Amino acid sequence: MHERLSFYIKRNSFLHQLNPLTKLTLTMSLVLISFVNSWYWTPHLLLLIMVIPLSYIGRVNEPFFRTFLRLILPAASFLFLMQAFFQPIGDSVIFKIWFLDITRESLMFAFRNAMRIVVMVCSFTLFLLTTHPSELMSDLTRRGLPGQFAYVIISTLQIIPQMQSKAQSIIAAQRSRGLDTESSLLRRIGSLVPLVGPLVFGSLVEVEERAIAIEARGFTSTHIKTSLHEIPDSNLDRVIRWILIFLVIASLALRIWLS
Amino acid sequence: MSIITQNLVYFGIAILIIIILLIWAYTTKRLQQDFNTLTWTLIPVAIAINVVIGQIVVTLKLPVYLDSIGTVFVGVLCGPWAGAITGMLANIIWGSIIDPNAFPWFPVAFFIGLVAGFCAKGGLFKSWWKVMITGFLVALTAAAVSTPIAVGVYGGITASGSSFITAYLLQTGQNLLPAVLITNNLVEPFDKISTALLAFAIMQGLSTRFLARFPRPQNVEVQKGVNWVQIAIAVVIVIAVLAFYILVVVKLTSQ
Amino acid sequence: MAIVNLQNVTYKYPLTDSPALQNVSLQVEQGEFVAVVGPNGAGKSTLCYTLAGFIPHFFKGELTGMVEVDGKDLQMSSLNEWVLNVGLAFQNPFNQISGAKYTVFEELAFGLENIGVPRDEMRPRVEDTMKLTGISDLADRSPYSLSGGQQQRVALTSILVMQPRVLVLDEPTSQMDPIGTREVFGVIRTLAEKGMTVLLVEHKVEWIAQFADRVIALHEGQILLDGRPSEVLTSDLLEGKGFGISRYTSAAREARKMGLWKKENLPVTLDEAVEGFSLTPNASPLGRGE
Repeated sequence: MHERLSFYIKRNSFLHQLNPLTKLTLTMSLVLISFVNSWYWTPHLLLLIMVIPLSYIGRVNEPFFRTFLRLILPAASFLFLMQAFFQPIGDSVIFKIWFLDITRESLMFAFRNAMRIVVMVCSFTLFLLTTHPSELMSDLTRRGLPGQFAYVIISTLQIIPQMQSKAQSIIAAQRSRGLDTESSLLRRIGSLVPLVGPLVFGSLVEVEERAIAIEARGFTSTHIKTSLHEIPDSNLDRVIRWILIFLVIASLALRIWLS
Repeated sequence: MSIITQNLVYFGIAILIIIILLIWAYTTKRLQQDFNTLTWTLIPVAIAINVVIGQIVVTLKLPVYLDSIGTVFVGVLCGPWAGAITGMLANIIWGSIIDPNAFPWFPVAFFIGLVAGFCAKGGLFKSWWKVMITGFLVALTAAAVSTPIAVGVYGGITASGSSFITAYLLQTGQNLLPAVLITNNLVEPFDKISTALLAFAIMQGLSTRFLARFPRPQNVEVQKGVNWVQIAIAVVIVIAVLAFYILVVVKLTSQ
Repeated sequence: MAIVNLQNVTYKYPLTDSPALQNVSLQVEQGEFVAVVGPNGAGKSTLCYTLAGFIPHFFKGELTGMVEVDGKDLQMSSLNEWVLNVGLAFQNPFNQISGAKYTVFEELAFGLENIGVPRDEMRPRVEDTMKLTGISDLADRSPYSLSGGQQQRVALTSILVMQPRVLVLDEPTSQMDPIGTREVFGVIRTLAEKGMTVLLVEHKVEWIAQFADRVIALHEGQILLDGRPSEVLTSDLLEGKGFGISRYTSAAREARKMGLWKKENLPVTLDEAVEGFSLTPNASPLGRGE
């Protein structure tokens, strides 16, 4: 069973060596700046001079572009079209399709909005491609995130593929018994129950034993937790983080000052 | 300030409210009461349930999301704060492995879990019709919180099918904010009431001994007996209130 | 001084009327390998959970009597302290995987991280324990990619690495295939030989007869018998109560009634049975005793 736990792909790149928190800060900064900055072309510029080059620096450009074309571009185009057509802004109508007016203003509006979303999704994708979940969690735990949260996140990431394959086999079994994913609405709702039942109950039973198991491994111990791996945090990391925070605050300040 | 910016500010305020609420709940020890070791092992399963059922629903092409069943489950069985945190974590994880478009919606998930938990604390999860009311209240909250996010982050049109409703409303001259608000209020109740009912049905199928292990088993003590009259009354009430609500919203916001 | 000391322990699960354990008293010396047998519902798992501290702290209910391990009293301790005293592994190996880690090595270190073991101590401790249980080759594998037997050995190792004083194992081979069973029993035997205090709940009496120092037969929450394997496992008292008696014992018992079993004691294992039956005079390969 193909276990896609996360986007992460192991490569030897500058981005991979960066501390996870640094990468997270980078992602959040890109998102915040593209949303906050009042200059129209901000998200477009960020995409071209930051996001795309970073995908090369991180040596994940191929998976990145694959995801971009497969997931991001269609969604963004949908958003763009919907907003261009249905946001009745402005008067300079460029062309009409049936009863829908497309104005220059709504095109511009849609273009920027869609691009903001693109930057957001791309930044996170890049982050996920270059950061292993257990590294991220280790680092955040070291910085004060309660260990239980790290536990929940990693545990969820491992349980989901298991449950998905359970669901696949239940769906396959039901299909062989006549479950139809194309039939009437009522039938489809009815078929939800025999799918949900076995899946959910089987998984819930494990919850108790797993709680005993982790309790037996000191999960609720009051000692200060230590960690097996040390995630490096270099001076470069710190410098980058501070620069990014500064840029975000500057954008915000600029925005407030200009309005 | 354009309406987009205004709603981005609302989004920021929502995040602030969440942070303040969490700090308050932590310092007053309310938050910790929702958590024992079982909560921590339940949450991953609940999130997985959110994800898997949410995806099954897409395969079956049903007109609902049903991606918060686990969140509601934890909110009822463990407490509002556990539910809220489950929602947020579910949202983050969904964004990390399925669709990063999900990230901005974490306040919605937070409040779904929170409201479900508080309703359950108030005894609103003990029979079918009470559960429907809980679902309705959760829906109202979800609609209210998701509207500013939809407007501020996405300009009102999100990547989901409900945007067509918004688009239609916009074309008929409705303003952006009310259009999105109405859309959400139409879409959410059906989804969230079904979600609450499914969570309730799951709980009915678990043994009392098992449920007793969680922090708040008292929320799920079953009042025996399915009263069809009660359910019918509940459905009528829910629809009536919904219709009334929408009318009020439309009236108040049409300018 | 006994390392495990139970005195008049009685326990009732919440919302139940009849006690799962009634007036159980037992002592275990350090290094002893004790097996516990009994029919379903006899209270074997309850006993395990009590020794491991989950009763009463996890399961609530009413516990009376004294439970003492390594001089510490259970009622005066918290669960998170007690698990350092007594390690517990149970049937389902899959549910014992924490889910928090991506490799077996990290999984084993999970417990050590939780209790705050210093980083430079963690690695050698995990490596040594892996060598002891023979799973060093699994270090970089994902715990979820392992077979049942491998997972159970990882579960055992992850408890061992915490260095408990007593190890309690509740039917660790019930869900294993024969290979897995053999692997797990191999590990248990190694531990017992190294002087670990082990309490093992098991159904496979033939194996117990060979390797356990002592067998306790539990029935309806009470200790029915407590003694050497050869005595307890062949006792007539076990008959008709749902105990999983070895087929060799049953066969020899029937044979004894017909006068065909000449030894004093009944056998438990195949070897003992062969040895015993070969003493029968005039025994022919066709088994026609005349």
